[in-house]
Amino acid sequence: AMAGALRALRAPGATRPLLRRGLRGTAGPPSARQLREAEEATPVFQYAGKAARRKDRVFVWGFSYSGALGVPSFVKPDAGWKKPRRVQPTPYRLETEEKISSAACGYGFTLLASNTTDITKVWGMGLNKDSQLGFQRSRRDQTKGYEYVLEPSPIPLPLEKPQQTRVLQVSCGRAHSLVLTDSEGVFTMGNNSYGQCGRKVVEDEIYSESHLIHQLNEFDSRVVQVVCGQDHSLFRTKKGAVYACGWGADGQTGLGHYNITSVPTKLCGDIAGVNIIQVSSYGDCCLAVSDEGEVFGWGNSEYLQLASVTETTQVNVPRHLPFKIGKIKEAACGGTGNAVLTEEGNIFVWGYGILGKGPNLIETAVPEMIPPSLFGWSDFNSDIRVAHVRCGLSQFAALTNRGELFVWGKNLRGCLGTGRMEDQYFPWRVTVPGEVVDVACGVDHMVSMVKSF
Amino acid sequence: LNAAPRRAPRQQVRFLPSPAPGGGGAVELVPARVPVLADHPLVRGPRFRRLKIGTGHQLDVKSSGVLVLGIGHGNKLLTDLYNCHLTKVYTVSGLFGKATDDFSDTGKLIEKTTFDHITREKLERIVAVIQGTNHKALLMYSNIDMKTQEAYELAVKGLIRPMEKSPPIITAIRCLHFALPEFQLEIQCLHETQQYLRKIVHEIGLELKSSAVCTQVRRTRDGVFTLGDALPRTQWDLRSIQDAIRNCRLKVKTELQKTL
Repeated sequence: AMAGALRALRAPGATRPLLRRGLRGTAGPPSARQLREAEEATPVFQYAGKAARRKDRVFVWGFSYSGALGVPSFVKPDAGWKKPRRVQPTPYRLETEEKISSAACGYGFTLLASNTTDITKVWGMGLNKDSQLGFQRSRRDQTKGYEYVLEPSPIPLPLEKPQQTRVLQVSCGRAHSLVLTDSEGVFTMGNNSYGQCGRKVVEDEIYSESHLIHQLNEFDSRVVQVVCGQDHSLFRTKKGAVYACGWGADGQTGLGHYNITSVPTKLCGDIAGVNIIQVSSYGDCCLAVSDEGEVFGWGNSEYLQLASVTETTQVNVPRHLPFKIGKIKEAACGGTGNAVLTEEGNIFVWGYGILGKGPNLIETAVPEMIPPSLFGWSDFNSDIRVAHVRCGLSQFAALTNRGELFVWGKNLRGCLGTGRMEDQYFPWRVTVPGEVVDVACGVDHMVSMVKSF
Repeated sequence: LNAAPRRAPRQQVRFLPSPAPGGGGAVELVPARVPVLADHPLVRGPRFRRLKIGTGHQLDVKSSGVLVLGIGHGNKLLTDLYNCHLTKVYTVSGLFGKATDDFSDTGKLIEKTTFDHITREKLERIVAVIQGTNHKALLMYSNIDMKTQEAYELAVKGLIRPMEKSPPIITAIRCLHFALPEFQLEIQCLHETQQYLRKIVHEIGLELKSSAVCTQVRRTRDGVFTLGDALPRTQWDLRSIQDAIRNCRLKVKTELQKTL
C-alpha cells in the first residue's frame, strides 16, 4: 500500500525534471528582441539642456610669488601637504565673482575689470608697493595697506555715479595703472615720479599706501583706449587723436622733446589729423594704427623697431612706417620686438629678440611674415586666420579665429604657459580648455579670458 | 600562377652518339643542343608551392577598408614602409545618444543620453581642440630639439613626424557629415588602432555632454595606397593582382626614396 501511494504521488510530476521547480523559462543568451526591449527600457540621462550657456572663465599662468596670479595657495599654502608653487607653467583656472571683460598684466601685478553696474568693477592682485592697485587696507592693522595682494581684491574707484558708470578697459605699466570708464574719464593710480599718472609730479612723494586716485577728463573727445608703457601713458580718443604723458627720455611720449610730461598732451607729427584706431605699447616704443591700415611709430628704436625710417635710436615725434605688407588691422608693441596683424590674417614681426621665425632670426628692421602653417593653417583647414595679436615684454601671443592661443618668445619664469621652461622660437599652441577670447601678456605672467565649450 | 608559361628550360651542349655517315657500326659523337632533363616540368614540379604573404598595418574585425598585403619580396618593402611612418586616413561614422562598453554599436549598452543640444558648430569646436592637442603631441614625440633652425623649418612645412614608436597621434580631423543623431568624421592618424578611433568617438560624445558610439570605421588610405588602388572582392584574381602590383611599384619606390 505504501509503495502504491508513493507511485501515485510521483506519477503526475514524473515527466518534469526536478530543477525547473523554482525557475520560469529557459536561461540562455538573450534574443535580439529581449535586447531591444531592455535597451528601450533603460533611462535616458540629460547632461545639458538645449539652452545650456557657455560659461566665461579666466585662466592665469606664469610667476606666482608676486601674487599676480591671484591664487593665494601658490604663495602661502593653506594645507600642510601643499608646497608653495613658484611658477604655474600651464593655464590654471581663476575663480572670479563676475564675468571679466578686460584684463591687463603689469610688471608683477594684474588688473581684472568687469563692465557691470555693481559697485565693485575692478579687482587687482600682485605687487602694490606703489599703490598701483589702489589702497588695500590690511586686515591686521587698519592704518596700513598690503604690499602684496595675493587674491583678486576690489579696487575702490571714486566714481560719481558708481551704479551707472561702466569700466570699459584697464591697462597696467611698470608701477602705475589706468582704468577707463564710459562716462567719467580715466582714473590713474600708482607711481607718478615721471608724471605717468597725468598729475603734477610731487617731490619725494611716497607712493606706497597712498589713497590718491587721479581722474583725467580734459581730452578733445571721449577716451576709447588707454595704453600703459613702462613709465608713460597713452590715451586714444574717439576723434582719432592720441594723448601722452609720463617719461619721455626715449621719446616715447612723442611730443617732440625728451622731458617728462605730467599733463596728457596731444601728439602731432605724422599722426596729426589721422584717425587712429588702435595704439599699443608695453616698453619704451609705441605703435599706432590708422583706419586706413597705416602704422606709425615713435619712442625707443635701439632694437631696430623704427630703423626702417630713421637711424636715430630715440624718435620723439610719431613717424609713418612705410611697410608694403598690406592693410594693417592691429599692432602690438613689446619691449624689443613688434608685431602687426594684417587684414588677411597674417602676422609680421620685426625688432630684436626671439621673433618667432626660428633661432636664426634674431633681429630685423623690416617686417617678416610668420608662415600661417605654424598657426594650424593647412590644406585640410584653409580658413584658419589670426584674429588678434598681443605682446608682453619679450613674448608674443596670437589668437586665431578658432579660439586657439599661440605663444612664442622668451619663457621668463614659465610665462608662456606651454608647460616647459625653455624659450619658444616659433609659435606654439597653449592648451586651454575652452575657446580663448582675449589674452593679456605681462613680463612674467599672462591672463586669458576663455569661453567654455 | 602555376599555369602561366614558365621559363624555357636551359639548353646544354652534349655530344650524342649518332651513326656515322660512313659505314655501319662506327659511332660518332655529334654535338647537339638538348634541353637539360633537370629543368623538365615533370621533374621540377609546379613552380610555386607556397607563397609568402604578409600584411601591412592591421585592420580590426569590425572595420573595413584598405589592407596592404605584401607577396614574397614585398614583405621587405612592407617593413620599410612601416619605418616610413606614413599617415593613414579613416572615415569614422558615429551615433549620438548611446554609450556602450566597447564603444561600438554592437556592445553592451551602458547609458543613454539626450543629444538635441548638439550642433555642428559645437562638434567642430571639439574637433579643432582635438586636432590642436594632437598637433602638440606630434611635435613633442618627434624628438627634435625645438631650439634648432631645422626644427622651425620642418614645422613650417608640416613635416615634423615621430619617426619611432609613439602613442596614437591624430594629425588631422574634420567633420564630413552631421545629421543628428549621426555624424561622420575624416581622421588622419599615425600609430593608431581602430579601437582607439572608437574611443575617440566616445570621448567626443563625453565632451559634448552626451554620449556617442562608433558605427563604422573605414580606412580610405594607408600611406601611399588609396581606395582607388584597392581590389574589391570581385577582382581577387591573378590578372588584377598583377596589374595592381605593377601600378603601385613606382609609387612605393618614390616614397621610400623620399623618406629613407
